[in-house]
Amino acid sequence: MRSMRVAALVWPMLLGGSLALAQAGPDRFDHPKHATMFPRCETCHVGAASEGAPLFPEVTSCAACHDGTIKPVVRWTPPVGRASNLKFGHGRHREVARAAAGRGRGDPPVCSNCHQPDGAGWMQTRRAVIGQCLSCHKTGPDHFAVADTACATCHVPLAQVESLSRERIKAFPAPAAHRVPGFMAIGPSGHGTMARSVGQRAVAASCATCHARDFCANCHVNAPETPTIQALDPDPRSLVLETKLVAPRNHRNPEFLQGHGASTGRNGERCATCHTRQSCTACHIAPPGKAIQALAAAGPGRGLGAQITRKKPLSHIGDFGNQHARLAVAEARSCSTCHARTECLQCHRPDPAAAGGYHPAAFLTRHPASAYARESSCSDCHNPQQFCATCHQQAGVVTTAPLGGRGNYHDGKQSFLLGHGQAARQSLESCVSCHVERDCLKCHASTGGRRFNPHGPGFDAARLKRKNPQMCLACHGYNIP
Amino acid sequence: MRRLLLGLGLTAMAAAPLGAQGYRLRLDTRYESVSFRGVDIDSVPAASVVNTSGAGPTTADGFAVDCSGGNYCYFFRPGARQHGQPLSTHADLTLWGLGVPGLTIRASGRAITDLTANSVWAGTEPHLLLMEGYAEYAVPRVLARAGRQIVTGRLGYQGFDGGLAAVKLGRTGLDVTAYGGWGLGRATALPVTSPALNPLDDFQPRDRQLVAGADLAFRHRWVDLRGEYRREVDPSVHYFVSERAAATADVHVAPRLRVSGGAEYDLAAGWWGSAEASINYIGQKFYLSAEGKRYRPFFDLWTIWGAFSPVPYRSVRGSGGFEPVTGLWIRGQAERYWFDNAEVSSPLVTRFEDRGWRGGLTAVATVDPQWTLEGGYRVEFGPGASSRSLDGGVTFRPSERLSLAAHGGSLDRPLEFRFSDAKVSWVSGSANVRVSDRLRLVSDAGWYGDKRRRPDAAGFDLNQVRVSTRVVMSFGSNADRLPPARRAP
Repeated sequence: MRSMRVAALVWPMLLGGSLALAQAGPDRFDHPKHATMFPRCETCHVGAASEGAPLFPEVTSCAACHDGTIKPVVRWTPPVGRASNLKFGHGRHREVARAAAGRGRGDPPVCSNCHQPDGAGWMQTRRAVIGQCLSCHKTGPDHFAVADTACATCHVPLAQVESLSRERIKAFPAPAAHRVPGFMAIGPSGHGTMARSVGQRAVAASCATCHARDFCANCHVNAPETPTIQALDPDPRSLVLETKLVAPRNHRNPEFLQGHGASTGRNGERCATCHTRQSCTACHIAPPGKAIQALAAAGPGRGLGAQITRKKPLSHIGDFGNQHARLAVAEARSCSTCHARTECLQCHRPDPAAAGGYHPAAFLTRHPASAYARESSCSDCHNPQQFCATCHQQAGVVTTAPLGGRGNYHDGKQSFLLGHGQAARQSLESCVSCHVERDCLKCHASTGGRRFNPHGPGFDAARLKRKNPQMCLACHGYNIP
Repeated sequence: MRRLLLGLGLTAMAAAPLGAQGYRLRLDTRYESVSFRGVDIDSVPAASVVNTSGAGPTTADGFAVDCSGGNYCYFFRPGARQHGQPLSTHADLTLWGLGVPGLTIRASGRAITDLTANSVWAGTEPHLLLMEGYAEYAVPRVLARAGRQIVTGRLGYQGFDGGLAAVKLGRTGLDVTAYGGWGLGRATALPVTSPALNPLDDFQPRDRQLVAGADLAFRHRWVDLRGEYRREVDPSVHYFVSERAAATADVHVAPRLRVSGGAEYDLAAGWWGSAEASINYIGQKFYLSAEGKRYRPFFDLWTIWGAFSPVPYRSVRGSGGFEPVTGLWIRGQAERYWFDNAEVSSPLVTRFEDRGWRGGLTAVATVDPQWTLEGGYRVEFGPGASSRSLDGGVTFRPSERLSLAAHGGSLDRPLEFRFSDAKVSWVSGSANVRVSDRLRLVSDAGWYGDKRRRPDAAGFDLNQVRVSTRVVMSFGSNADRLPPARRAP
């Protein structure tokens, strides 16, 4: 009884499979009409019973009746086998079905089990359907939810089916697993895990059924070093299945750029799937470190992978030029990943032949306003003597005498001399770009002149004397109070 | 010297990219032609001045004079137009892969001259400068350098000839750095003893100062902290030139929110130096920043300026920007500042300004990937000087390798302490051509109309055309030229 059930399941598949393989056009042969003439299927379908024999009859065999006298002549050509990645064979299935049905080797096959609906009359045939394969192979009702081990039962790898057109490959439906969230990510439901999930084989047969190495290498720039991918055969036709490299979720974090170094892994292995060294060197200018060198270099044999365009981090927005100092101080190594020291020196050791850059146009005229209450410290980049005093000297605006001595350059304020103390304490750096110590000592020394006390708020005489009494000597001589 | 510079430039231009690995050489040659004009002091006998009703004494040809000096009255004539043509070549070389993993050699130097006969341009002496030149050994937890180098930090860019060592303490996130050597002058690659740093024949130390310092940094995913200490000592007398400490913090409070700040303390003077604290939020289409700041200048103790008690200014500052439509960014900033009480009293003189404000508004529109328009308005009103400017520009990028730009603007600048209002208008154009990945050319030319307005004859014009050219060449190996990874068997 059990063997009967098996035979009933197998034979429909046997015949259906042959039809699927041989699908070349509509079946125009009217089987029921000829029901009284053919007691056995193998009369015409010799191949279903005998390995190597044609599955369909020649048209000459019809001419026994259809000779133009008894019956009209028919014009018919046997269908040509259609390209497919199925590896179905009548012979194998026939033997299994016979054994299951308890029949001997010489008994005829039970074609009706697959090609005839239950209760239908003789030669009320139909094509076998795929569900019948699945029910027999116990793979479950969903063709695309079968276990990886089951795919190879019926299918051959894509690369081995050379006759399959690109259009047919492009029309391959995607299994449900491909639509599961996380399929493109790393994890138990990720495609990488699934591809490696089969015991001793390097790659899951389920992948090889529809994909070839070229397809994987399109995104996986480390494909040449990945055994799972290398286990696939190369086949450029696989590229017709379109795929798009999607950045992992953590890459969308607004501050990912700043912290991505910590997530590269010891040897950059977490990045090696999608990134070549060029991804790193698009931004990183330092001599390549261990993690970068561990990545593959782009070139022939590798896909493009992730394409990185150098862009500013989130923090570099707005007037970052004026604000960058404290960030650079706090995390200088972050800066050095993308910026060469030369870039810093361009401003912090400015080239006298450079035409602006940091400062806006016409800054030469504007600079008195910017220098008095310094928005940023001029002396971070400009040496007060070499830059400011030298230029002021060339422009004739340096002092040649104490204030009020020869000419009054500060003619915008009446009695500037009497009120200059406030201006000096507010912007002493501006004063010393034109004035030297001896100008001030004419009045502000205790050893001569007018002996005006220059010390103001916050002056700690004892401390300064302790740190450097030479400064005191300049005004007080050896009689330092 | 000029021949040497020209030779360097031509050699660099003719050199073909080399195929060797483990080095990177960058040559940056610049030339600029620019004019400037100052004043010349002059005098006339007091008896020859002309007293004009309501305008005070002037010379016969209309220059306002100062006659407080006795028998002669002094005034400033417009100075002669001075023309500078600085030409420089900056070479930056990095070598690695020298047989010792982690060993790098780095050198950065500059050759410069002024092509005009009288060499009026500032900073062109001496003609050869070594900015940095050191050997660096870096392995994951240790870094050591020896040679001329610059340490950067909140206490400024300090150059010195000496050694530096930095250690990363395991997984604690702590980095310790210590350094020491013979110091260089502030913001220059020259020692303080160099004649180029004493144009006004002021007091100058006899010996270079000794520099020593240490930094302690803590890095965490969300927090960066750094403490610094630095001292400079005059080796001839063993007195301090400076002694300062500073702290900096940067905290990522949330993914888009960060708080940062820092402060300096002058241990020699016994007062707090500059400090600031800011909070920044950066959204998808906008950003906001608020900052409180204090600025106080710092002077070396070999000068007397610290004894004059410079007072700090404090400020509050806000800035922000938003993108109302894709491609258009509008940014603005405003700062209000006021100086501490200078504690001076001059009964006969009205107090000068002690507070001011500055702000600006800019808009940048990226019309499409090729066209960018920008405009800005900036004002600054405060003690000493003020300014107000309006400018705009357009940039055209027909390809990734070519960028053309045109800019124009106008600036008004009154001064508080001198009658010298100025107005400048300018138009300029520039071209930036990336001939190849290793060669870039930049050139710009602009016309500047500079008018100084005074109520007497001392006003002058300085209209001029400025031209500059820059050639940047890179040679050597990059990471992408390392041997490709071996294909799996």
